[in-house]
Amino acid sequence: MKKPFDTVLVANRGEIAVRIIKTLRKKGLRSAVVYHEVDAGTPAVAMADTAIRIEGRTPIAAYLDAPQIIAAAREAKAGALHPGYGFLSENAEFARSVAAAGIIFIGPSHESIELMGDKIRARNFVQRHGFPVAPSAIEEDDPQTFISRARRIGAPLLVKPSAGGGGKGMRVVRDLDTLEEAIAQARSEGLRYFGDGRLYVERYVEQPRHIEVQVLGDCFGNVVHLFERECSVQRRFQKIIEETPSPALTSELRQRVCETAAGIARAARYSNAGTVEFIFGQGEFYFLEMNTRLQVEHPVTEMITGIDLVAEQIDVAAGRELPFVQSDIVVRGHAIEARLYAEAPERGYAPTTGTILELEYPDGEGVRIDGGIQQGQSITTAFDPMLAKVIVHASTRDDAVLRAKAAIQDLLLFGCETNAAFLARILGDEGFRSGKVHTGYLDENPRLARGDEDPAALRRFLAAAALLTRPIREAADAIPELHAELGGWRN
Amino acid sequence: MIAPVIFSKHGVGRGILNLAGEALPVRFAIDGDTVHLHIAGQTRTVRYLDPLSTLAAANKEGDHLAARAPMPGVVVATRVSPGEQVAAGAPLMVIESMKLETVIRAPRDGFVDQVHVKDGDSFDRDAVLVTLSQEGR
Repeated sequence: MKKPFDTVLVANRGEIAVRIIKTLRKKGLRSAVVYHEVDAGTPAVAMADTAIRIEGRTPIAAYLDAPQIIAAAREAKAGALHPGYGFLSENAEFARSVAAAGIIFIGPSHESIELMGDKIRARNFVQRHGFPVAPSAIEEDDPQTFISRARRIGAPLLVKPSAGGGGKGMRVVRDLDTLEEAIAQARSEGLRYFGDGRLYVERYVEQPRHIEVQVLGDCFGNVVHLFERECSVQRRFQKIIEETPSPALTSELRQRVCETAAGIARAARYSNAGTVEFIFGQGEFYFLEMNTRLQVEHPVTEMITGIDLVAEQIDVAAGRELPFVQSDIVVRGHAIEARLYAEAPERGYAPTTGTILELEYPDGEGVRIDGGIQQGQSITTAFDPMLAKVIVHASTRDDAVLRAKAAIQDLLLFGCETNAAFLARILGDEGFRSGKVHTGYLDENPRLARGDEDPAALRRFLAAAALLTRPIREAADAIPELHAELGGWRN
Repeated sequence: MIAPVIFSKHGVGRGILNLAGEALPVRFAIDGDTVHLHIAGQTRTVRYLDPLSTLAAANKEGDHLAARAPMPGVVVATRVSPGEQVAAGAPLMVIESMKLETVIRAPRDGFVDQVHVKDGDSFDRDAVLVTLSQEGR
């Protein structure tokens, strides 16, 4: 079969650009990547066969500039474009413009992106096809009765802006007397963040777990699921650690959730890779939303199924039929992903910056690193703070947790403070090890972010630092006592 | 408790720390007065404060107090100008970092001495944003 394209433009940066280029190479395809000047020294630019510079008022604006990116694809003679995640990946207008330029968009149709892009439209679609959604009241249906319909659902309730995302403007109402006040606050936040004051209210699940299902469809109507991922360890609605299988599901529940996700994708005539997200609690699950792109945490699914999702995305976009049916996809072992961020959980997750002086990734059996940084590179606050993902696979969950913790501790990165110690604390925490996590887990355990000082560790650091720089300091000052030597140090 | 402490280098950026009977492999990088260390699965950066310059700075800041940046970011709005009298907790500046706005407040009562950055400027963590003095000028 003749290939419909031999060059793919990667319209992204960082670790995901590297990840996509690796699969393009494996498949014998040429890779092109766009980059803003600040990313000139990154591995994605070095690895791609062609790198095309794009410009913008800010670095982020460059990666959001659709006409410039399409022009770059033409310049690189790319027959297809992979959007990665974030940036323009879920922009229906962009998908349409790419197709109009005669370039294959590696992702679902723009109709699918549009359907799932609006939370209320997606929710109504899912409900109409008989899949579970949380009991809810949508203001637009009849603004006059909105509050009375919301009251009828009963507490606890979650008030959300219709145009929302990232948890902004959401409010939990446990006492119905405060409902009107919460609605007023959510409306003003919705207007401020999204320029849209429309709201909806739904049943709030206490101690909810975030469980999502990977689906894959082709243009021939075949849809399969690749099982679930649990992403309940979150800070400010940002995922930190993801795993599969979920320790919360029985095999019967797993089957129900996964088949529901595949059913939703089938009903939407979905092609390419997508993720159906659910809220799970008290044995019940509700549709939350569908992400019409590759997810950050897709590698854990690849680890347990042995399927390269990017390779499947490319083949489906090229018009091929899925090479497997549902019964061919089997789960092997357990996989965990931990996200390495340039931030300090100890200081309220404040972003950190610096220049990478030294970088050495852990290796060994069952360890995979998806990274987008290299030695000498500056870490700035221009982009999302994610530096790399540490992904591990083992035969059992217990072994995977141990392996993940060891890999995080072996990772060597000097020059920019990271959340590595925090990740190791979570992986060593009894709550996480027993699998009893929910989306409020980190808020309920602030000590995990805070990181209580270990005096023995501090002594080791100070002793090593003092001894390593003795010649320099002896020239600078002449205070002989050990205590005085240590006294000049701070961290 | 007195225990022998020995550090022996083995190659570039590697060594062994012997402390209280433990022998620990150490990875390190030295960058000016900053030492980056990786010991027993943990990474930490320590900075040497020269006692003389620390003392000098303390004297200089005697009646000048600085409001510093808690994190790297960009100035969104400046709320005060030099000479203005402020009370402890008064907003001095709004900064943005990773899409989050933070208000920088006066650490104590005083007069604005200098505003060191202007709207749109970016800065690193610990940068001096506004200095206050006890007496007006």
